[in-house]
Amino acid sequence: MHSALLWAALAFYGLGMALSFPSFIRRRATLSPASLGALGFGLLAHGAALALKAMEIHRLPVTDVRGALSVFSFLATTAFFLVYIRYKIASLGIFMVPLAFVLTLISAVDNGALPASPEFRGRWLIIHIASILIGYVGFFITFIAAIMYLFQERELKSKRPRTFYYRLPSLEVCDELYFRSLIIGLPFLTLGIVMGFIGASRQWNGLWELDPKILGALVTWFIYLILFSARMSGSWQGRRSAYLAVLGFATMMVTFLGISFLSGPHGYFPNLGPKP
Amino acid sequence: MNLVLVGINHRTAPVEVREVMNIHETRQAAALSELIRRDGILEALILSTCNRVEVAICARDEVEADPILRKFLTEYHHYDLNAYDRYLYWHRQEDVIRHLFRVASSLDSMILGEPQVLGQMKQAFATAKRVGALNGALHEVVNQSLAVARRVRRETAIGATAISVSYAAVELAKKIFGNLEGKTIFVIGAGKMSELAAKHLLRSGASAIFVSNRTYERAVELAAAFHGTAIRFEELFEHIDRADVVISSTGAPHFVVTREKAEQMLALRKNRPIFFVDIAVPRDIDPAVNELNNAYVYDIDDLAQVVDANKKQRQREAVWAEQIVDQELQKMQRRLASREVVPTIVAIEERLNLIRESETERFRGRLNNLSPEQRETVDALTRGILNKILHGPITELKSGAGHPEQGALVQLIRRIFGVGE
Repeated sequence: MHSALLWAALAFYGLGMALSFPSFIRRRATLSPASLGALGFGLLAHGAALALKAMEIHRLPVTDVRGALSVFSFLATTAFFLVYIRYKIASLGIFMVPLAFVLTLISAVDNGALPASPEFRGRWLIIHIASILIGYVGFFITFIAAIMYLFQERELKSKRPRTFYYRLPSLEVCDELYFRSLIIGLPFLTLGIVMGFIGASRQWNGLWELDPKILGALVTWFIYLILFSARMSGSWQGRRSAYLAVLGFATMMVTFLGISFLSGPHGYFPNLGPKP
Repeated sequence: MNLVLVGINHRTAPVEVREVMNIHETRQAAALSELIRRDGILEALILSTCNRVEVAICARDEVEADPILRKFLTEYHHYDLNAYDRYLYWHRQEDVIRHLFRVASSLDSMILGEPQVLGQMKQAFATAKRVGALNGALHEVVNQSLAVARRVRRETAIGATAISVSYAAVELAKKIFGNLEGKTIFVIGAGKMSELAAKHLLRSGASAIFVSNRTYERAVELAAAFHGTAIRFEELFEHIDRADVVISSTGAPHFVVTREKAEQMLALRKNRPIFFVDIAVPRDIDPAVNELNNAYVYDIDDLAQVVDANKKQRQREAVWAEQIVDQELQKMQRRLASREVVPTIVAIEERLNLIRESETERFRGRLNNLSPEQRETVDALTRGILNKILHGPITELKSGAGHPEQGALVQLIRRIFGVGE
């Protein structure tokens, strides 16, 4: 049942994505009601699938890579809707919807084939993972806002309106989105890392602090802290912050996906890499 | 259906000819009444604006409408229409429909996407309705053209972008600041364009405006007109860091805002963006200011470039608009065609009913021996036969509506059932 719902969600996401292309090609600022409807149904199906899985295993289904990806894409799509309701930016969909589609596809394709690592116990772990995922979604939006800002700013400076001038929101909206996603993402990431430290210190011995995933997360966290304080201090550097946000996103992606496959105790593949 | 339209517009005729052919608003009602009095003319519409004069009519099917229209125009304007032949364009049948749809949607206008023509069309429609000149196919077409225009405006961005320099300044300000509410405008110097831009910005939500001029009295005058504040030119740089948008058009031969001054402004504003609109020639704002982060400088050429890009954008949107017009044209043709068959269906029904009644009458004598129920049964029988016979042709007529052979089919069926042409 869960799997069927997930495939239904994927189908709706795909439909919504296809229906949104004309809006972008025709330089529309908003998405058509049809594409929004399809995405909405996809989101409902996706949520139902996750809820069912959660009831089945009595906890949030984040304990394997595919589950985590599924939850991440669900959160990302929800965030997209929240942002769209507030700002009505079609261009956001162009970035987020294909990503949600691909991630959901990966998580649907081979469901539950990986056994959850025996390390995955404890409520702190679930909160740890969930917080980090929410933080990542926030930072993903920060990244997109930064990219949109960069493109729009470049075109406004060049004084030659080309394609982005018509499709992208104003610099102010990009900036607001950037800032708001940052102040949502950072606390959740902080919480997630703290929970992780507490849990790890209880469960593992040895130099778990040097585990690549933990180091990666700390680097990511640090970059975003710099972004946050730069923004708060009022030095609105525009372009420079945007570049740093891109770097932050890159480290985040490496941490989330890449290191998951390398890190021993921390990864989703407990048999690779050294144990503490 | 027999639609004909004749007209001139800004592309086919110079203004001297257009003003001669113009039919003034106050005289349109009388002209329309006169036109529909003519033999063979069923409906009429007159659209007369500064850029076009068009007369559309719906005539009876068998009538040759062109000469009647010519005669009317000749008599109305009291001159020989042949002299103006080369300026006139004629449309017939579905081309009339397409033309009216395009005109209402501003696709035929001098400026694509202009909003005035829809209002002008509405007025022409109202006038014609008032004198009873619209009551059939033409009424449907003009009514629908208003809906098509609304659809085009809704589904395309044909009227959305700025195509004048002052509107372009507002559009850019919105691209930088998003919402203009709470934003401050500084106007340095004076001039038609800067006043226009300031006016548009205020109307789009900007809240505070400061005016500065070498002549303080002039600044006070302008500030009063905008409900703003005047600032002495010497004190300008004490306050200018409050400006989100600076519109400058002084006659100064040197830069009013240099790069250093702009850097200072940005520092005081903690790098909140500034938008400089430099309408002056020679320029007031040092172009090097554009290199600074969060400062955007647009001179008069840059604004013209934006307008050009927007015009091209409108042309792209016009392609989508033409597609909408095509779709609506097809829908309208089907609607009009099915309208056409209704009189035929009614005529055939009447004819057959007549036959039924007259035959029933003929046999009345022999039917008198029947009981009332039996007579009713016979009545139902004849009616049933009639309906069954009618079913075939009616279905054919309705389903064939809109097909090119429809006309021939209608004629044939009319001939077969003997209801005349």
